Amino acid sequence: MKTNSYFFQSFAIVLLAAVAFIGFKQFLPKKIFSESAPNSKNVLIDSMLLDAVAKDVKSTTKDTLVNAKIVFDPTLGITFPSEKFEDYKGYQYLISFYEKLYQLEKNPESENVRIAYFGDSMTDGDMIVQDLRADYQAKFGGQGVGFVSITSESAASRGSITHQYSGNWKTQSYLNVKKPRSPFGVNGHVFFANDTAHVEWVRFKANTARFATMLDNPTLFYGRSSNLQGKVDVIIGKDTIVKSLTPNSLVNTLKVSSNSIKGFKADFIKADSIPIFGFNFDDGKGVHVDNFSQRGNSGLPISTFNPAVMQAFNNKLGYDLIVLHYGTNVLNYGTKDYTWYDRSMTKTVNHLKECFPGVAILIVSTADKGTKYDLEMKTDSAVVPLTVAQKRYALKTQSGFVNLYTLMGGDGSMVKWVEEEPAKANKDYTHFNHRGAKKIAGLLYEQLNQGYEKYKTLRQKRKPAEKKAPDSTVIKKDSVDA
Amino acid sequence: MTINSINDWFIQTFGAITVEQVKGWFIYNPKEPLLFNTGLFLGMFLIFYLVYAFLRKTFYLRLVYVILFSLFFYYKSSGIYFLLLILSSVVDYNLSGVIYRENREGWRKFYIWLSVFLNLGLLGYFKYTNFLIGTYNDMFSGHLAFHDILLPVGISFYTFQSISYIIEIYRKEIVPTNNYVEYLFFVSFFPQLVAGPIVRAKDFLPQIYQKLNLTKEDVNAALFLLIGGLIKKTVISDYISINFVDRVFDAPTSYTAFENLMASYGYAIQIYCDFSGYSDMAIGVALLLGFKLPTNFRTPYKSASITEFWRRWHISLSTWLKDFLYISIGGNRNGSFAGFLFPALFFFGLIVWGISYSTVSHIPLIIAVSSLVLFSLTFILSKDRERTMFTNVNLLTTMLLGGLWHGASLRFIIWGALHGVALAVHKIFLEFFPSKKDKKKNAFDYIWRFFSILLTFHFVVFCWLFFRAKDFDTALQIVNNIGQLTFDPKQWQIIIQGYKNVFLLMLVGYIWHFLPEGITKNMKLAFDKTPLIGKAIILGFVYWIVYATATAGPQPFIYFQF
Repeated sequence: MKTNSYFFQSFAIVLLAAVAFIGFKQFLPKKIFSESAPNSKNVLIDSMLLDAVAKDVKSTTKDTLVNAKIVFDPTLGITFPSEKFEDYKGYQYLISFYEKLYQLEKNPESENVRIAYFGDSMTDGDMIVQDLRADYQAKFGGQGVGFVSITSESAASRGSITHQYSGNWKTQSYLNVKKPRSPFGVNGHVFFANDTAHVEWVRFKANTARFATMLDNPTLFYGRSSNLQGKVDVIIGKDTIVKSLTPNSLVNTLKVSSNSIKGFKADFIKADSIPIFGFNFDDGKGVHVDNFSQRGNSGLPISTFNPAVMQAFNNKLGYDLIVLHYGTNVLNYGTKDYTWYDRSMTKTVNHLKECFPGVAILIVSTADKGTKYDLEMKTDSAVVPLTVAQKRYALKTQSGFVNLYTLMGGDGSMVKWVEEEPAKANKDYTHFNHRGAKKIAGLLYEQLNQGYEKYKTLRQKRKPAEKKAPDSTVIKKDSVDA
Repeated sequence: MTINSINDWFIQTFGAITVEQVKGWFIYNPKEPLLFNTGLFLGMFLIFYLVYAFLRKTFYLRLVYVILFSLFFYYKSSGIYFLLLILSSVVDYNLSGVIYRENREGWRKFYIWLSVFLNLGLLGYFKYTNFLIGTYNDMFSGHLAFHDILLPVGISFYTFQSISYIIEIYRKEIVPTNNYVEYLFFVSFFPQLVAGPIVRAKDFLPQIYQKLNLTKEDVNAALFLLIGGLIKKTVISDYISINFVDRVFDAPTSYTAFENLMASYGYAIQIYCDFSGYSDMAIGVALLLGFKLPTNFRTPYKSASITEFWRRWHISLSTWLKDFLYISIGGNRNGSFAGFLFPALFFFGLIVWGISYSTVSHIPLIIAVSSLVLFSLTFILSKDRERTMFTNVNLLTTMLLGGLWHGASLRFIIWGALHGVALAVHKIFLEFFPSKKDKKKNAFDYIWRFFSILLTFHFVVFCWLFFRAKDFDTALQIVNNIGQLTFDPKQWQIIIQGYKNVFLLMLVGYIWHFLPEGITKNMKLAFDKTPLIGKAIILGFVYWIVYATATAGPQPFIYFQF
């Protein structure tokens, strides 16, 4: 070009650059930054999950569950219609819970219902659970946030109650301790006040959350020990009340106050080696939901629960439903064959049934999770196989099932929840924010309530002769080998 | 969206091209605007640029050609709203003509107010309607329904450009363009259309009439800007935001104090790289077309005072605000109703907020009263009390409205207020401790400057918390979390290892930012001396870096236990 202008050279550079890029793309790696998680002892990982993955044996048996029609045998004279594996919900196995709810609805003064909600980081900071609790308490009554552990990594982000504690508690968690010094509590943790030089303390304060504006009947739960010197100084406002610990039984309780109070602090004196579990807050009426969340949990650590201790807990707290909401931490292992998880969780759930005989169990599947494929965020390819595995162990262990993935919209829903305005999930394409958690709790409640409404209809149609004692906690489960 | 289409474009170019795909390139898709860092833009620009080079000696043909491409560019990101751009430009062009021809002062005033009112009204409708409804509902427990309004991309930028044109005509600093085509070329010029820099009519219009020329030096500068801009925007900013900063700001209490602190630093470099990177690309693209746009960012975190910061950060916006808002409401000479209105409203709101919280905590009221006292002291202590009061009040108004310009939310107002008060405080500080200009610098001056930069930087980072956090509570949570930071290098080291890519990029961003200018200049000189083919290969390599970063999925989340 015989002009002083440089346009064509400029064009040539951009064109050649585009060509060079195609060349680089052929020969250079596709990614600069890998997505591998760091390896460090300070990263919270479920040790039982790692063991189970290591032991993974590929399944060879043929799948018989998927195509079979699921037919139920009657419980309390009631039979829900048969279901297909495709959209299995298993309301039949929640009948004991529904019956308790029904009794509560009939006699709001004399009955109460309790739900244990086990989860992973999805329920950290009382997310999801606080909304589900509020939904139930709005309909059936009840005040209080239920059982709260002595310490929790997510205490700071919890809005339903203000929870602070000293840094010197010795904590053992079922996440990474297989043989605790003393059995775990129902919260999967056990705490010790072994620092004799400094006082271990914990402080609770009620906030403005619905149905939790006061601390109702705050009660300490602790275990057995030979140390009979232990004391708790309970500080309420300006008053200090000294209470002795009597660690004689597997599970002991100590009522901090019989009234509803706004807040208190508990100092643990000479309490070393006494297993401390946590505090319970409930008004004894309506529905109570305990949040047992643990970051990094796959669900498998529940198999370390000691049946005798759990039965002792159940005698004091009286559970009617146990929710197991896991899966997020099982998604990251590059596998789409979840036979190992199915197998280990089946054992785990069966163990849990030994610990809590007759208590209905509900499995909540993993939610959708987004991953980048090439340049686009999509549903992680492991999500669907995992939900299928979760449905399988729900069915095998005769548990109810909620498919969170389909409930929230199925394929691509997490990407949508993250990107829509206002957002319902965080930019890690895994966790919900408060708005999303509320929505999830609503969806969960809706499915459970649908089952309950159906149950009430079926109950009315039931032949009067088959009426049994409705309040029995032990209900024989009929098998459903399909 | 990142560079989705770089990949797509090549696959499609060298693989099978379906009719659907081709349609997708030309049809409006709100999720995929035609950003400079996309492959689709690269492909389209190559074709556009070749024709442009052939048209370089024509005038109207070239203008119309660029206008058509600009309108298409705007259509790709805003759909039908490109008609709004045309409509508002027709109105502005005609009003500016009327103002130019009108000699009676009263009428001139009337028309200038009318056109500013129309432009701001348009901007206000699209940007602030729902904010006003929300505020009304909150204050009076109202239940007005929100309007379903989609914000047209870049409306904040081109509205300001139109206003600058009209006011400059009113102030007789420029004469109107010869015809509508030339005006539309100025308003719709695609490089700066959607994200600035805000180009002033008096800087840009003369360039239209010059003989179009492009020197080797221009191209070198343009490519250097493009390379830097691409890396800043798509590699540094996008990666650290999705993999770290967004997560911490989503749920600050789930992270340790150190992670909160790092996320604050991370956001400061992220927003700089995002904003200045995109500006640099816009300036580079314009330069390739032979148009020189003003510099928009001059390594702002090197500033030793907040006043200096605003001379280096988003320069095209701050000069616009100075010339058209600050001067219009009285500048440093006069007070005006508008100048006093907004600070008064702000402090009134602040104190009402403090009182409404006084049953729960006295801290909000203390903050409210002390900020008012602090602001008042900035002129009460001054020698020339009245004039300083006018200056500071007008400054605060400018910063409040400047904050609001960034988005319709209270948090931007708070951000603006913090900067406005800080500017006033710096002014009174200078009055008591004037800086000596001609004195020779000694070691103490360097140490002093070092701490001034450190302090200014941290104040700016602090203000960004309010800018970024989704609400006031979240911002305070982060401040609170950082307050609990303890010196624990072992813990820090583990966290840094956990997020090593993120921290590495943050480090690269900060080193790049604080690099002495001499080194940057030498890099530029070396680049200039590289042969043509070498420059192409470097640019191609940068495309690959952009691509290979964008393919990385979000890192899995990490929970630390200590």
